[in-house]
This record gives sequence, C-alpha cells and structure tokens, in this order.
Amino acid sequence: MNQQPFLRIFTAPATLCAIGFLAAMVAVLQYSLRAYVPGSLDPGGFTLANFADLLKPLYARVFLDTVVVCAMTAVVTLIVGYPLAYALVRVEQPVLRSILLVIVVTPLFLGEVVRTYAWIIVLGNNGFINSLLMSLGIIGKPLQLMFTPFGVVVALVHVTLPVMVIMLAAGLSHIDRDYSRAAESLGAGPIRVFLTVTLPLSLPGVVAGTTTAFAWTFSAFATPQLIGGGRVNMISNLVYQLGFSSFNFPFAATLCVAGLALTALVLGLLQLASRPLQKIEVH
Amino acid sequence: MKPSANVEGEQTAVHFDAVTKRFDDVVALNAVTLGVGRSEFVTLLGPSGCGKTTLLKLAAGFLGPDGGSISIEGKRMNDIPTYQRGIGMMFQNYALFPHMSVAENVAYGLKTRRVPRVERDKRVADALALVKLKGMENRKPRQLSGGQQQRVALARALVINPTVLLLDEPFSALDKSLRTSMQVELREIQRKLGLTTIFVTHDQGEALSMSDRVAVMSEGRIRQLGRPVDVYRSPADPFVASFVGDNNRLRGQLVSMQAKQAIVALGDALVKVSGESLSGLEKSAAVDLFVRPEQFSVVAPEEPCAIKGSVVAQIYQGGHVDLQIECAGERLLVRSPGEQAVLRWPMGAPVGIGIQADRCSAFPAA
Repeated sequence: MNQQPFLRIFTAPATLCAIGFLAAMVAVLQYSLRAYVPGSLDPGGFTLANFADLLKPLYARVFLDTVVVCAMTAVVTLIVGYPLAYALVRVEQPVLRSILLVIVVTPLFLGEVVRTYAWIIVLGNNGFINSLLMSLGIIGKPLQLMFTPFGVVVALVHVTLPVMVIMLAAGLSHIDRDYSRAAESLGAGPIRVFLTVTLPLSLPGVVAGTTTAFAWTFSAFATPQLIGGGRVNMISNLVYQLGFSSFNFPFAATLCVAGLALTALVLGLLQLASRPLQKIEVH
Repeated sequence: MKPSANVEGEQTAVHFDAVTKRFDDVVALNAVTLGVGRSEFVTLLGPSGCGKTTLLKLAAGFLGPDGGSISIEGKRMNDIPTYQRGIGMMFQNYALFPHMSVAENVAYGLKTRRVPRVERDKRVADALALVKLKGMENRKPRQLSGGQQQRVALARALVINPTVLLLDEPFSALDKSLRTSMQVELREIQRKLGLTTIFVTHDQGEALSMSDRVAVMSEGRIRQLGRPVDVYRSPADPFVASFVGDNNRLRGQLVSMQAKQAIVALGDALVKVSGESLSGLEKSAAVDLFVRPEQFSVVAPEEPCAIKGSVVAQIYQGGHVDLQIECAGERLLVRSPGEQAVLRWPMGAPVGIGIQADRCSAFPAA
C-alpha cells in the first residue's frame, strides 16, 4: 500500500456503494425463493414454485416480447446511430461538430419520462404525425401508433441513441486515419474504403454499442409503461404490476432475477459471437 | 534560394509548381517548386514542421494545395482524388489493414483495379517474393515483426506498379541495424524497378545515404536541392550547413575577395572558400565559417596550427574518435580517424587544430 497511499481512501465510497447493492441483490434473490402469502406483505417459507411459474405462457410471453423489443431497438438504434457517430468523428468544422454533439447528447439530460411524454405528443391520435398526415390528405383516419410495439420501439430508440452514438464514436475515433488513407492510395473510392476498411474495423465498437443498447432497453420502464399503456408489456412493467398492484413481492423478485439472468445470457452470447473481433488491433 | 532545375521537362515524373499550402494562418509551404525525374529517388529532408510531410500529402492527394499545381506524368493532379492517382504509399506506422492477412493486404490494390483472380494471385506471390516474405501469406499483421510489417507495406505499395512511390518516414520505427539493412534493400528494389520515389525523413544520414537528390527544407521552403555530396560539401546557406551533417561554426574575417574565391582569416590561418556566398561583402567583414569535424586535424600545440585549445571530451566511435576541444570558450567537434587519438590526445591535453583549407563554406556573419 506504500506505493498507492490513497488507494483505500479513494475506493472507500465505491466499496460502500457496492456493499449496499450487494445487500439489495441478496435480498431480492432471497425474496425470489419465498412463497407468496396473499393479503400479507411478509413472504412465506422457502420454495421454488415462483421459478416454475415463470414458464406459464403469460409470463413467458412477456419475456419473449421484451427480448424482441430490445433486439429491434438495438438494431434500429445501430442503423440510426452509426451515420451520426461517423459524422461526429469525421466532420472537420468545429461548429458543425458541436451542433452534432449537442443533438446527440441533449436527450441524455432530459430524463426518460420527459422524452417519453414528448413522444406521446408526437405519436398520439391527435398528435403531430397523425395531424400532419391527415391534413395532407394521405390518411383518412388516425393511425394507431400509441400502445403499439412500433411506438414503444420508436421512443426507446430515442432514449437509447445517445449511448449508442457515444460508444460507436469512441470506437470509430480510435481507427487510425492512415488505414483509410492507405486504402485510398491503393485505388479504393470512398464507398469501398468504408465497406472494406472503416466498417470492419469499427465492428468492436458496433458490438459494444449494441450490447449496451440491449441491456439499456432491457430494464426500460417509463417508456413501455406510458407508450405501451398496458398493451405492450416488458419485464419491468410486469414487476411493477406484481409488486405494487398485487403486492406479490416474491414473484416480482423472481422476475427480476430471471430478467437479470436473461440479460447476462444474451450479453454473454453476443460477447462469444464477437470474440473473433476482439483480436483486431485498431491502433 | 532557387532549386536548380537539372531535370529535363519530358523526363519529369512528378512536378510541384509554386505549390503553396496554408493551415489557418500558418504557411506550411511557400511557393515550392520541385521536379522529380523518372526513376529518381528524391528525399525531402528537414526538421519537423518544415513542410516535408505536407508536400508528400499533397502529392498523395490527402491535402489540396492553396496555390500552384501538382502534376504526375504530365497530368495535373490538383482535383484528382487520391484513389485515381495511381500512387503507392508507405506510411510511418505502415497502416497495414489489421483485419486482413498478409496476402489480402497485398492484394487490396489489385482488387480495387479489378485484376482477375489468377493474375492477382501471381502478382501477390511475386511481390511477396520480392520483399522476401514467402510463406507468410496467411499471417495477420500483428503476428509479424516490425521489419516484416514494413516489407508487407512495401509489397502492398509496389504490387500495383505505382507511377510514383511515396514514403513517409518508413524507417523511424525500426532499430538501427534493421533500419540500415532495410534502407539498402529498399534502394536495391527501387533501382531494380526504376521506380520514381519521394522519400520524407528528418534523418540527414538516411537522406545522404539513400538519395539521388536531396531537397533540404525549412519553414515551408526548399533551401537547397542537389546530390547528397553537393548538399554536404557546398551547403547553400547556414541552415543547410548546420542541419546536414555535423558542422562547426567559427567566426572569421574576410581578407580578400576575388570573383570565385574568397580568403577568410581564422586566427593565424587563412582559409580558401567559395566567393559566391560572400558576394557584396566588404573587406575585413565578419563571416561565419563552417568546418566539418573531419576537416580539422589535431596537432601538437607547438606545431603551426590555426587554433589552440584543450581536449574536454573524447567520444570513442570504434572506427573514429570524436574529440570535443575547447577553444576560447567555444567547443569544437573534431573527428580523428582510427583509434590513436584516444591515447594521443588525452582529456585536458593542450592541442593545436589545423584546418584543411579549401573545403569549408562561409556565409556573411549572422
């Protein structure tokens, strides 16, 4: 400890937080193994029945929906975010770069609820999109955008975009410009340079961004709650219903544990699938 | 200083005509004119920030000029993008594509040119044989040593038969012994293929040993363009004299001046120098005399000599000994061939220094 005299002091706050989190996790895990006593806030004895209940079609369905919504969100965010991140890294005018950065980062400071309310205004039956399309005479009656998986994904993409762009931009900015210069000197035009050099070298960033986006949306609550309105249910919404409407804390805890395990599984698979990419040295 | 145009018009492979480049308010290149002959090896030499890399990037098309024009094989290149210029380039860090094998790296430029598969494979094999990398086809760049990576980079640039080869300090990452052997090898390949080459370096030794001609640059201008021996023996100005090779600067006095020859007094000695660089100076004006370390000779202090001093440092270099000799508060670097100087002129010994009187250069005192 002589070489790093402040190490203990500096890591103390983080350690305290970690202990707190760990205690909470243990409590959740413990609850997930308890029986539900209707009418009581206290759990009953130890049982594995909660985990068996997960296989009921009603709950399995929510898990499946959650994975599908998360996967769609991650893919769409990647498609929207990649050009933004590319522009952010490659644009040379400082003013334009600042504008891009503000556009990308500002949503982070608005909070999920505020952003989701904005989307209600845009997606509602009398919202921006429907009024515009109707006044242009393109549609006769409002499109159903609210309370649909489409609406939830659109809003979630907006919520997730800053994280994706920042991770992609970090990956792209680490690619030495000499690689694309070398490709140009060998006769490759801009499109070929992008497809054969820039894109493959940015794949580690793509994997990092996509996994983060996936995990980020997996725990989404406010967006599916407000835009899904009970018709698009994700795990968090189910946990909320069970915990705070039915007061079935044990089963809510079971859902949490299962959700966590599923996230870890999906992320693990993505990591495994992208292992060959880790060997690319971009520098 | 006007660069001499000793290249015939129709033999010029790359021509920079009054090329100017600015970065915001900084002038990186100031109306630089330079012609590189076909099959010629020209080195751009200068300290960092002199504009040599900028000039290379303009030739490659990574930057566009603010004034003047660049032509390759007689075609104006100003508005031609890099990928249509037909150049080969080697980068300081090699820039080998890390996600491709050695063979894929070398084949890249052939694929962009839509060379058919059979011919492509043959040319890749030939190029790898040329740089002695047979059997490495399937390795990834990270599995190669620095020297091997450099060979791949060279093969990748050569395989497309470029009209001009551009080299951006390619040896700076190699250790000294490897660097020397790679220099020799690159020069052999370049001669064999008759490849027009522009080479950028800040290492004056490298520039002198490899080039047909050297362009010494400073502050966005070419200060001197000439064969290595000319640049070394007859530097055009004090900057070139002190940047290329080791040199001693001594203050002397102009004694007499004829059309082609001037005599400069240095202590009791008289030194003959070229009169060109001193034209217009009055008799007895102060001049700066540049003397190479090997143009000095060390003698016993009682013998006739130009300057007297004492040995303050010995630097044994194997084949020769560098002596630092303090004379009237200034240190002079004196190179003595062989090893005898180590014992003959020990530390602190009083010595006299003689000057080989006809191979120095002189400029008006700064």
